[in-house]
Amino acid sequence: MDTIIIFVETKGDEVRKASMELLCEGARLSAGGKFAVEAVCFGPLTLALKDRLLASTSKLVHFTDASLASYSPEGYAYALSGYAREIGAKMVMAGATGIGRDFLPRAAVILEAGMISDATAANWDNDPLTFIRPQFGGKVFAEVSFAQSPIVVTMRPNSFAMEMPEGIEGEYVERTAGVPDGTIHTTLVRRGEAKSGAVDLTEADLVVAGGRGLKAAENFKLIEDLAGLIGATVGATRSVVDARWRGQADQVGKSGKTVSPKLYIGAGISGAIHHIMGMDTSRVVVAINRDPNAIIFNYANYGIVGDLFDVLPAMIEEIKKRKERS
Amino acid sequence: MNMIVLIKQVPDPETLVEIAASGKDLNIEPKFALNLFDEFALEEALRLKEKHGGTVKAICLGGPKAIEVLRTAVAMGADEAVLIEDESFAASDGYDTAMALSQALKKETFDIILCGRQAIDRDRGEVPQMVAQFLGLPHIGVIVKLDVANGKATAESALEGVVEVIDVGLPAIFTAQKGLNEPRVPLITGVMKAMKVQIPRVTIEDLGIAKDMQPKTTVLRYLPPKKRPAVQFIEGEPAQAAAEIVRILADVERVI
Ligand SMILES: Cc1cc2nc3c(=O)[nH]c(=O)nc-3n(C[C@H](O)[C@H](O)[C@H](O)COP(=O)(O)OP(=O)(O)OC[C@H]3O[C@@H](n4cnc5c(N)ncnc54)[C@H](O)[C@@H]3O)c2cc1C
Ligand SMILES: Nc1ncnc2c1ncn2[C@@H]1O[C@H](COP(=O)(O)O)[C@@H](O)[C@H]1O
Repeated sequence: MDTIIIFVETKGDEVRKASMELLCEGARLSAGGKFAVEAVCFGPLTLALKDRLLASTSKLVHFTDASLASYSPEGYAYALSGYAREIGAKMVMAGATGIGRDFLPRAAVILEAGMISDATAANWDNDPLTFIRPQFGGKVFAEVSFAQSPIVVTMRPNSFAMEMPEGIEGEYVERTAGVPDGTIHTTLVRRGEAKSGAVDLTEADLVVAGGRGLKAAENFKLIEDLAGLIGATVGATRSVVDARWRGQADQVGKSGKTVSPKLYIGAGISGAIHHIMGMDTSRVVVAINRDPNAIIFNYANYGIVGDLFDVLPAMIEEIKKRKERS
Repeated sequence: MNMIVLIKQVPDPETLVEIAASGKDLNIEPKFALNLFDEFALEEALRLKEKHGGTVKAICLGGPKAIEVLRTAVAMGADEAVLIEDESFAASDGYDTAMALSQALKKETFDIILCGRQAIDRDRGEVPQMVAQFLGLPHIGVIVKLDVANGKATAESALEGVVEVIDVGLPAIFTAQKGLNEPRVPLITGVMKAMKVQIPRVTIEDLGIAKDMQPKTTVLRYLPPKKRPAVQFIEGEPAQAAAEIVRILADVERVI
């Protein structure tokens, strides 16, 4: 049977959402009997996390080398490709997160393997198997096949259904990769303060974004309040970032981040193509704009023509009311 | 200090991209630009040169038209430019692109290679990391700040939500993110120089690569993006419209 390796990213006591989705897809694939699936993780693992992972995969291979305790592209690429080669894996998959997209290309070169980055769907029943990936900022999608194994793939968050079958009891293997001294040339000096709470934009299930229609940095409180109430992450347009109302990390679009949430709410955003490119794979899009001809309405499922300074507070009130009722 | 910048010519971001009738090709308006993120890479190289001395060399793998982005690089201030000219190879996958570029780089001496975070045509974001691995060099991805001193670099990487400060010995490869700097507009003297400069062209064969190499991945066909149904406007006063949209999101779409 062909083996697929899933690289699992962990953070404190949590499995990264993008990794969990892959594990869900992996569980469906192993149940289907066509593939064997192994999860691989690096660095320290709490007991709770280990239990959670063993309920999510038929096999967990945990590499405990001290050199893998924190992320480095060289160390991770060495260890992951080494294991893939050792077991003759057909495919190596990871979430298209910052880290996944950073080191998987290195692993592909070590494995002399083709790479499919930031795919949004897999056609497991096709022969040859193919992946779908957006290009030109989502203007077109390409169906990509590969000539030889292994293949290295990163999957955009929110591409696979998050449903884990019950009753999985995975096998646990603890080992080292034996990363040779001198492999890793980068040193992490310092890590900035993480924003508390909110999920990273690229992985967020729910996004509330604001544009220049917000008029001033302090008015983003409206966007933050709405986002806070529903557990969403805040996004912004480039105009807003360039005006320094929000940090670069919040920018959605061609020169910012690509989001793929279940729900995207955009207020005071005109819908320039550069912005649309970063959010057009969202499932449900709600646009609030006082201009009935705003382009963003062409890319929305629901539109409210009105002043965001009236509509957003009213939405916040309504959600609060609902929360009190339930 | 010697800096090399890998730059790619991409269709202008505003350009229309259509799927050909065969489904296997794209029809792209022939309007081109220097890849957005490569402008940041080039600007950073020029600033390093201004600060520390040395040279900046731009390298591009592309078809004959790609000479234009190399002229742009010279106009901005690059000392040298080279075109690896091969239309079909430039249309290949990230692996082959990285292999060709690294073959060219093996002949160069450099302290720093700067690239863009991603080429905005194929949206792969693979080539710099692959080049780094082919050359056995470290890389730091998605940087928003770069300082160099005594054969060492300190970069701020915005790979994930938080900024990380990372040290690396040189030579090393960096990929530029928006926010790294504000790219300059070429001066007229630069533009004049760029018009006259001779830009050498090398072929894939010159780099010792067989032309008939089979790419590792192939695009079978192109598909249009999924069309969203026509927008449904929610009517009424703000309070009514707000109540209605919240009801839809909670009870119909079940997303909140
Ligand atoms: C190469 C390139 C890359 C780019 N990359 C990006 C990118 O990554 N992300 C990005 O977002 N942009 C990007 N842009 C910029 C993009 O083209 C637009 O300029 C930008 O998205 C516009 O931002 P905006 O919608 O906030 O502002 P505007 O276009 O000014 O729109 C403001 C909107 O708010 C509405 N409005 C105003 N007041 C109210 C109110 N009280 N209530 C309700 N609605 C109101 C207006 O009707 C208008 O539609 C890029 C541009 C280029 C050239
Ligand atoms: N054909 C090319 N010629 C020169 N540089 C390239 C080429 N393709 C990619 N690059 C570099 O690699 C970066 C990322 O490209 P990509 O991996 O294709 O998204 C670009 O921003 C360039 O710096």
